[in-house]
Amino acid sequence: MSEFHLTAEPPLAGYDKAFTGASLKAPTGLALVSIALPLGGEPAAKKAIEAAYGCALPEIGKACATPRMAAHLLRLGVDQAFVMFEHSEPDAERVVSRALKGAAYTTDQTDVWVALEISGPKARDALGRICPIDLHDHAFAVMDVARTTMEHLGVIILRTDEECWRLFSASSSARSFLHALETSVKNVS
Amino acid sequence: MSRIEGGLIDRSQTFRFTFNGKTMQGHAGDTLASALIANGQRLVGRSFKYHRPRGIFTAGSEEPNALVQLRSGAHQEPNTRATVTELFDGLSAKSQNHRGPLEYDLMAITDFAAPFLSAGFYYKTFMWPKAFWEKLYEPAIRAAAGLGRLSMQEDPDIYDKGFLHCDLLVIGAGPAGLQAALTAGRAGARVLLADEDFLPGGRLNAETLEVDGMAGHAWAAQASAELAAMDNVRVMTRTTVYGAYDHGIYGALERCTDHLASSNGKPRQILWRIYSKRAVLAAGATERPIAFGNNDRPGVMMAGAVRTYVNRFGATPGQRIAVFTNNDDGWRTAKDLHAKGLEVAAVIDSRDRLPLLDIPGARYVRGAGVRDTAGRKGVSRITLTDDQMEDIDCLAVSGGWNPNVHLTCHQRGRPEWRDDLCAFVPGGTLPAGMVVAGAANGALTLAAALAEGEAQAQAQLKDLGIKPAASALPRAEDEPCQAAAFWHVKESAKRAWVDLQNDVTVKDIKLANQEGFRSVELLKRYTTMGMATDQGKTSNIAGLAILAEQAGKTIPEVGTTIFRPPYTPVPIGALAGRARGRDFRPYRLTPSHEWAKANGATFVEVGNWLRAQWYARPGEKGWRDSVDREVEMTRGSVGICDVTTLGKIDVQGRDAAAFLNKVYANGFAKLAVGKVRYGLMLREDGIAYDDGTTARLSENHYVMTTTTANAVLVFRRLEFARQCLWPNMDVHLISTTDGWAQFAVAGPNARNLLRKVMDERHDLSNEAFPFMACGEVTVCGGTPARLFRISFSGELAYEIAVPARYGNAMMGVLMEAGKEFDAVPYGTEALGVMRIEKGHAAGNELNGQTTAHNLGMGRMVSQTKECIGNVLSQRPEMNRDDAIKLMGFKPVDPEKKLIAGSHFIASGNKSTMANDEGWMTSVAYSPSLGHSIGLGFIKSGDTRKGEIVRAVSPVHGVEMDVEICSAHFIDPEGERLRV
Repeated sequence: MSEFHLTAEPPLAGYDKAFTGASLKAPTGLALVSIALPLGGEPAAKKAIEAAYGCALPEIGKACATPRMAAHLLRLGVDQAFVMFEHSEPDAERVVSRALKGAAYTTDQTDVWVALEISGPKARDALGRICPIDLHDHAFAVMDVARTTMEHLGVIILRTDEECWRLFSASSSARSFLHALETSVKNVS
Repeated sequence: MSRIEGGLIDRSQTFRFTFNGKTMQGHAGDTLASALIANGQRLVGRSFKYHRPRGIFTAGSEEPNALVQLRSGAHQEPNTRATVTELFDGLSAKSQNHRGPLEYDLMAITDFAAPFLSAGFYYKTFMWPKAFWEKLYEPAIRAAAGLGRLSMQEDPDIYDKGFLHCDLLVIGAGPAGLQAALTAGRAGARVLLADEDFLPGGRLNAETLEVDGMAGHAWAAQASAELAAMDNVRVMTRTTVYGAYDHGIYGALERCTDHLASSNGKPRQILWRIYSKRAVLAAGATERPIAFGNNDRPGVMMAGAVRTYVNRFGATPGQRIAVFTNNDDGWRTAKDLHAKGLEVAAVIDSRDRLPLLDIPGARYVRGAGVRDTAGRKGVSRITLTDDQMEDIDCLAVSGGWNPNVHLTCHQRGRPEWRDDLCAFVPGGTLPAGMVVAGAANGALTLAAALAEGEAQAQAQLKDLGIKPAASALPRAEDEPCQAAAFWHVKESAKRAWVDLQNDVTVKDIKLANQEGFRSVELLKRYTTMGMATDQGKTSNIAGLAILAEQAGKTIPEVGTTIFRPPYTPVPIGALAGRARGRDFRPYRLTPSHEWAKANGATFVEVGNWLRAQWYARPGEKGWRDSVDREVEMTRGSVGICDVTTLGKIDVQGRDAAAFLNKVYANGFAKLAVGKVRYGLMLREDGIAYDDGTTARLSENHYVMTTTTANAVLVFRRLEFARQCLWPNMDVHLISTTDGWAQFAVAGPNARNLLRKVMDERHDLSNEAFPFMACGEVTVCGGTPARLFRISFSGELAYEIAVPARYGNAMMGVLMEAGKEFDAVPYGTEALGVMRIEKGHAAGNELNGQTTAHNLGMGRMVSQTKECIGNVLSQRPEMNRDDAIKLMGFKPVDPEKKLIAGSHFIASGNKSTMANDEGWMTSVAYSPSLGHSIGLGFIKSGDTRKGEIVRAVSPVHGVEMDVEICSAHFIDPEGERLRV
């Protein structure tokens, strides 16, 4: 047994700040695992997902809260989806791969991304300063998900509630990402 | 008094402001220009070239004259148009381009030299001696001619950008725009209505015309209120749509706080990118002047502008005013002035016809023109073509109206000439999704503008599949608007100004034509007509009409210059937005950044990454001391380097092995599970593209590493290959670069150190985990990790990866565990030194010009499989025996320092391009060898070991003898990394 111990220091850990009209928060203990549907094995993979999570894989650009395993499924592409769930240990990939019984390829994405949640009546206006996609109710409803760029950073955006969006961007540029969001919120509040 | 009754200003709010230090008063709703007029200030600036006195000429964004410097200190902003500057309490403005007081500009002497300063004067005069242009002539000319001055301080304001989306963008909130927005808004479409003014209404605010039985401005206010109350409509005032781009995208500048004394920490301006499904351009029209002698004197103004100041702002530019017109609209100015109780001295119509209106007290002169003006610092008398004179203090000139077609031309659309209007209207080719309505489309009368606004909006709604609400067209009249083609008064002997902003006269245009500058584009560049902040909005048509007359062509034959964005000036600050300073672009931090910062690291930018370059210790005198120590201690015991920045791509699928075998030039089909292999990627043309290692973690699971610089490019390339080249392969890619903190642990004690952090069950012996082994392991009591036995330094080395969240802690743990071995952290400099010592190629060698053959890896390129680049890599020219080869170089005199970029010349040859045999790509001081070493490419290098050649750097003026040697300076047999 090694005499050493490693402490987790996720970027932006504990960040939670309220501004006039909007709040910004870095959710903690959130795991992300990517699912790739094998070519030719899509029906089996979809079946395995439904069996494990209790719901069908959503359409591209849609997300759903799963009845089982307290997760969200985010469908990002033809053969790609993310599972988002509360899980602090560094073995999230194993959890998903076991649940799917090897019917799809899985990759741990937890530490690849950093999450920021923006909420409040001014949140949409703030996002309008950096998000090129249309966030109008008719264009981007609750549980819609998209990949886009904001301030030169790749971002996954998920609308979790009427006035709440969860964003994921590369963890290495977490500070630039936070700066982009904070600046936007300050500029509209 | 210049302030008269009426107008849309709020007289209950009085603002104090200063002009050239003199305190004045205005009201809410005034522009700086209207307030200056109300205060009787006629002279507001000096002209660009001749320093002639100039006054306010227009009432809009087309203003060529009234450019002022606003605010002070770091907030100082030059070249601001007084006509669109909203007045606020405490505003300070200064006039521009004069030496000494505005009234007594010392530089006005240039006006007397005018006969010598015609168009092209500089080009003809300042030709000799050539060297004088840059150092003497140009600075002197620039100092004499110019506009305002920058503060030369950092801009203290903040700026932002943003994105807007709509079904219908309506550009301009005049009658046509308001009616279009109402039509679309009532139908439920998402509408964005933008107008450059702070008060919606356009010309309705400046006219006395009625809509639906109420004053035009009242109807505009009612319409704006209705629009503002709709959830589906956004009304943006103080917002100029300045450019029409591809796919219905428009650029707009919103001036958020320019009308306030302070921005209060909020963005001063926002640059919007508008995504529209359809657009209605209702940008209105701009009145144009007529050129005649001394027509630039303060007090000579556009007739429509005079009407605006009187009707909208309750400020009159004169007490005894004459109107000079070639069209019906000029008569309205006379009528409105008279209605306000002002004295109209005369109406001079260039057309020989009966008076259009009865203007009591005004002399009517038909078929005539104004030949000249007189008056010191402002017009006091005009002379007509029949030599009659009239004493006046303001001359309102109307040369007809030009539809604002600019945005219709931003994608190379050409406007078309309409003889009946004597103006260009939008041509047939418009930006996709755009239609034009109202005056911008040539519908110059009020009823026509309203009707067109509605009809065009309805057509756009229909296109979008939105059902329009029932027609609700307001009642209005079609006022007379006939115009004659009359551009300049030929009888004028004095200089007649066409472009006031650039001091271009009728004579200059004639001269340009005489000298062969007959294309309208050449005319613009030779005379500077239509340049600068106003982009010739008032001058262009008259200018090209005069050119047409001179060249014996029609106006449409001459055509217009190309209109390009921006429609009106956009400050550089707004274009930069929030991208300034540290946040100019995103930056990326390695997982061990905090540890590195706390331990004396100096950081270097590598792409967007900040990487530790070296770790200085107390007593070290310079970076070389630190780097030499890091190399020596790593090679002597063990060193640790954060190598997270290398790209990592997770490759999974049944066809992953076959896929990798296609993207790498060397064989990958048979890589065993638990093994790593070096891989070289080629471009399709056979040039080396990127290199790295790929590890096979399980049957269908690989992890590829790329160089830091190419991480994204390689990923994109692989996605293209997977999706487009071989879509039938079961292979899936996802980046994990940021997910794993990866550390190189290198040196003879690397294994001993790692044993202390790895969990006990893992056998790290050379037998169990040999060179190029890999595996999934655990460290520090169960934390998942990946271990690769690979070496960039040439030492016994590993790379260990842990989930990024543990990266900072892992660096600390490795250093703590390494204490007994005197472990050292090393940065990118030591990393570079060691790879040069080992002869490993990096970005300097894989520079997009070199092949595997050049790199000495020609035999790695498999010809027994199908892979990207292998076919074209076999072209004979790329495989010549005398091709450049990657070699090592050492100075013959070990005291000398090699220079990267030096070119190699064979001994005895002259240092010429023809004798160039290659170049030095990378150099370093090798603490292991005690002298400078280098890598480089030289012709037939592999057969020339031991030969002495010259390394020549003309840039440094240095050349030295160097010996060609093996690129592997350290451990050429690779024994160290296999122990």
